[in-house]
Amino acid sequence: MNRPRLSNKLLFPLLLVAVVVVPALGLIWVSGRTAELIGAETEILPPQFSSDGFARAVEPWQWDFPRDHGPHPSFQTEWWYYTGNLTTVSGRRFGFQFTIFRRGLTPEQSASAGEWHANQIYMAHFSLSDIAGGTFHQDERFSRGAVGLAGAEALPRYRVWVEDWSVHALDDSARHVRIQARSEGFAIDLELTSVKPPAFHGVNGLSAKGREPGNASYYYSLSRLKTAGTVAIGDKEFTVSGTSWMDREFGTSALSAGAVGWDWFAVQLSDGRDLMVGQIRQQDGGVEPVFGGLLVLPDGSTRYLDAGSFSIVPLGSWQSKRSGATYPAGWEISVSLGDAELQLTLEPLLADQEIVGSVTYWEGAVRVSGDAAGYGYAELTGYARPLRGLF
Amino acid sequence: MSSAVLYRLALRALQRRILQGALFVFSIVAGVALVVGVDVAADSARRAFSLSIASLQGNATHEIVGGPSGVPTSLYRTLRVDLGIRSAAPAIQGTVRASQGEVVLTLLGIDPFAESQMRAYLGSSPAGGANAVSGQALLRLLTEPNTVLVTEAVATRLGVQPGDRFELTTAQKRDTFTLVGILRPWNDLSAQALSALVITDIAAAQDFIGSPGTLSRIDLLLANDLQVARIREALPAGVVLRAVASNRETLQQLSGSFILNLQALSLLALVVGVFLVYNIMSFSVVQRRIQLGMLRAIGATRRQVFFTILVEALVFGVAGTLLGLACGYLLGGFLVDAVTRTITDVYYRVEVQALTISSLTIAKGVVAGFIASLGAGLIPAVNATRISAASALRSADAEQATRARVDVAAAVGVMLLAAGLILTQFQEQSLVFGFGVLFFVLMGCILLTPVALLFSMHAVQYVSGRIFGTLGAMAPRAIVRSLSRTGVAVAALALAVSVIVGVSVMIASFRSTVTTWLDDALTADVFISAPASGLLESEIVDPKLAERLAAVPGVAQVLTARDVAALAPDYPELPPVNLVAVSQDLAERSRRYLWLSVPRAEVWDAMQNGAIVVTESFAYRRHITPEANSLTLLTDRGPQSLPVVGVYQHYGSDQGIVLMADSVYRGKFNDPWVSSFALFLTSETDTEALLERVRQVVANQGLTVQSTRELRAEVFTIFDRAFSITAALRSLAAVVAFIGILSALMALQLDQRRTFGTMRALGLTGAQLWRLTLLETGLMGLAAGLFALPIGLVLAKILIDVINVRAFGWTFTFHVPPSAMLQAVIIALAAALLAGAYPAWRVARLAPAEAIRYE
Repeated sequence: MNRPRLSNKLLFPLLLVAVVVVPALGLIWVSGRTAELIGAETEILPPQFSSDGFARAVEPWQWDFPRDHGPHPSFQTEWWYYTGNLTTVSGRRFGFQFTIFRRGLTPEQSASAGEWHANQIYMAHFSLSDIAGGTFHQDERFSRGAVGLAGAEALPRYRVWVEDWSVHALDDSARHVRIQARSEGFAIDLELTSVKPPAFHGVNGLSAKGREPGNASYYYSLSRLKTAGTVAIGDKEFTVSGTSWMDREFGTSALSAGAVGWDWFAVQLSDGRDLMVGQIRQQDGGVEPVFGGLLVLPDGSTRYLDAGSFSIVPLGSWQSKRSGATYPAGWEISVSLGDAELQLTLEPLLADQEIVGSVTYWEGAVRVSGDAAGYGYAELTGYARPLRGLF
Repeated sequence: MSSAVLYRLALRALQRRILQGALFVFSIVAGVALVVGVDVAADSARRAFSLSIASLQGNATHEIVGGPSGVPTSLYRTLRVDLGIRSAAPAIQGTVRASQGEVVLTLLGIDPFAESQMRAYLGSSPAGGANAVSGQALLRLLTEPNTVLVTEAVATRLGVQPGDRFELTTAQKRDTFTLVGILRPWNDLSAQALSALVITDIAAAQDFIGSPGTLSRIDLLLANDLQVARIREALPAGVVLRAVASNRETLQQLSGSFILNLQALSLLALVVGVFLVYNIMSFSVVQRRIQLGMLRAIGATRRQVFFTILVEALVFGVAGTLLGLACGYLLGGFLVDAVTRTITDVYYRVEVQALTISSLTIAKGVVAGFIASLGAGLIPAVNATRISAASALRSADAEQATRARVDVAAAVGVMLLAAGLILTQFQEQSLVFGFGVLFFVLMGCILLTPVALLFSMHAVQYVSGRIFGTLGAMAPRAIVRSLSRTGVAVAALALAVSVIVGVSVMIASFRSTVTTWLDDALTADVFISAPASGLLESEIVDPKLAERLAAVPGVAQVLTARDVAALAPDYPELPPVNLVAVSQDLAERSRRYLWLSVPRAEVWDAMQNGAIVVTESFAYRRHITPEANSLTLLTDRGPQSLPVVGVYQHYGSDQGIVLMADSVYRGKFNDPWVSSFALFLTSETDTEALLERVRQVVANQGLTVQSTRELRAEVFTIFDRAFSITAALRSLAAVVAFIGILSALMALQLDQRRTFGTMRALGLTGAQLWRLTLLETGLMGLAAGLFALPIGLVLAKILIDVINVRAFGWTFTFHVPPSAMLQAVIIALAAALLAGAYPAWRVARLAPAEAIRYE
């Protein structure tokens, strides 16, 4: 049980922040541009980044909610990651992803600095899968954590936002939250209620990623959030309800090379259990052995799953016309629970749920069948190009 | 008869009179070059300004701006977070100096995350895909303190390379910045636009040139009126949302009058040029009189003759126009420096990196050249058709016809004058209208010149006969006899000299008025201000400096002034209001008011209670009168209507000024800063020593400390610089006129060849003939000079009372320097005598036999 565990769910956002935020700044200027009157290319010196001075995840964390729903600026990287499956009364299905990342530039804000001085950069990803409509919508935002444009706070109430995309608590305990995001042609406005307490990964939430001390993060999930509200596609608005998953992580990590990408799955089963499993694919075609999953039981108690206790077998594939990448599509997942076996089949609700933005990956809603039925989310990275080359 | 033969003859005639052809071409070149040159200079300045705005505002369609206290940062947050407006970008912008103040640059603070659609030069090339490098540069702006991006050109000017640190200064501060990247413009246009720009992160810009909680502006890219309406609803008091394009036009207007004045002057030169061409063509027809008569005798039709002459004019016209376009472009290069210098001095900062010649300018030049050459060739061509085989040998015919035409010209002249005078009675404010009046009156006067010449020569022949004997009596008669040519020559010279007189008197009047005004206005002893950066930007100075200045031994009193651009919502088409808030009215006693609605002694009291006084040009542009006497300003408390209790004379800004009491200003605007200080000294203080002490107090602040004397000198330097182009154009007009008179006199002398030949045969010596010729030209020059005086004064009167009021809203006292009048007569006389010297020399050497061969 004390073996260091590397959460793929952790790795991806870390990579996203480290790899994406930096060059994406350049990319976001590219999009939507036509030939204009004035233009110039920029020739520059590369920026100097350092994790020096940031705290590292070494000791187990003393958890305190709702405080810990808020930001931890002494760590360099942090995110709030919501995914969920929704359905209308008539059975029309939607999936959504709403994520806000925080990246600290310096551990301390200088005292005399003006209002625009920011030592935090925020990035948000928002996607909506319209299963019946067969369409996938996505957008991303960046902002500095200054002048109220973006930020995260636990007091007076939990709130994280990037411009007009936000998640904020509806009660002091932050058990009830509201997510609002509107982009060109699609929007969500959802209320989420957590039905289970936070589920901690690793050792009471200290989730190690390597053998070196400090190469770890603090990680918990709200694995079952009862969700209700509206989603909008174009002019049409749908009243929906369903279940969401929230991942929370913060840490300061220097990632080791070697991984090509990863496959991550989080599903809620109709019997009340929630499951997270994943695997890191390596250059040589193998799978990172230091890795695990988590089973959350109906009463909120958790059970760790080490890499040897589950297997993930792809059933098919799908090729993206936009990126050209070929992703696996559909999986056979077997989990050995000691006394019992759990055999699940996962299939994407929509083939194309590929995010093409400052980074390209697949993040989409899946249906679960087999020993237990349910819905969930899958995340597939490193298929468009190896992430290894990026850092 | 074949037209080809006629053209061949015309060509041969041309070859023989190469000088004449050269003169024709020259006059067209001169006229076209001036028109084109002024246009090129003006266009280049306009374009540079447009580009600099474009570089600052990118693709923005709208902007949110505030008055003196700018735009609250919280509004930007509201737009992005509450309203979800994504195409909004904040900007903090100001003027900074580098290289010990030598290089003036615009510092633009941006939020890299908001730039995706706004300022394209901050992104990648339009052709290429992702350019992650520029993202890294922007990230460095964001993450490292005091980092900047500039173009290669700016880096070279500053002598820095990426990685180097250099100092920037403002009136308030100095700080060191690191160059982290080079902006690589996609093309020349971009390079020009970015040539004075330093890009930094908005946080650094706010620390260095901004105020806490405040933006210079929010740039917006709005797709529809719905968005505009939503944003308008969210605007707090004191800020407005407006279209960038209309604002750009409004700003361009600032220098519009100045440029229009230059264009009018260049047109005047073209008019002089037309006279010249007319002269030359007439000359050419006269020379070929016999030949044309013969051609008619052997069967050439009137039509063929007409077109031969017209085509000749056209050929010269084309050559002159083409050369004129080229010369105009070159001239534009010389003029543009002077033009931009003045625009920078008086209106806004602009740097021209490249000359622009627009197709419109080329079209203007071509049309001007063609109309000038064809128009001027038309009458000689018609004259040529009147030559019959029989009349070719009789010169008198032509002159009789001329007499009739002189009367017609005089009648038209009287009508034009009357029309011009009637037009002055209209209250129309348009400047073009003003120039209409000017041209009517001027042309009217010029058309009256031949008839005036006729009468004056009749009158003068007795006098000159007394003085110079027979020759003296002959000269005026000879002038009258050849009125078709002498009339035009004198008119052209009179026109040119009257322009010189008119412009000189106008400048002299302006200067003397400004002198008086400065004496009244500069009552303090020492002035301390930030270096001027144009009407559109005001630098901020810490008001606490006032206390330190007051503590300097020898300083009796310190007054502060705050000079800002405020918004007047009732006049969206006019530039922002130049609002000056003063802690005390330093020119209270000496200010010259055009009207006051409170007793003079109570003006300051009224101002402290919220009233304002405005300058003459401000009132003129906004139709403020004792009856319509209020002005609405957009304050931080919302729009407020202020009573105007007086209008005073002021020549510091043609856009006008609103003067407000400082205490009132602070109540209306959340602006803690001041712009300048005026110091009064104790009576026994030595100014020079005090200046030294004051300079020590404000050392390292980038502030300019000037005594009254120095400030006065600077005002006049700017004044003289502003009029240097006017003066240059005036001289060019004189050169054109000189060439005109030269060609006219040559025509005249040639016309009289046979007469002179006969005289020589009858016993007149060469020396006598020389004297006769010089007498003739001298008389013409004198006549032109004397005619030019009243015309010039009328011109000056129109320039002052009609043009300047419309262009700048200024009135000034008519001041006629006697020396200018004398000078004008001397110039006319000298030009005529000089121009007459060569023809006289030729006449004197005339062999009688050759001259009268045709008799």
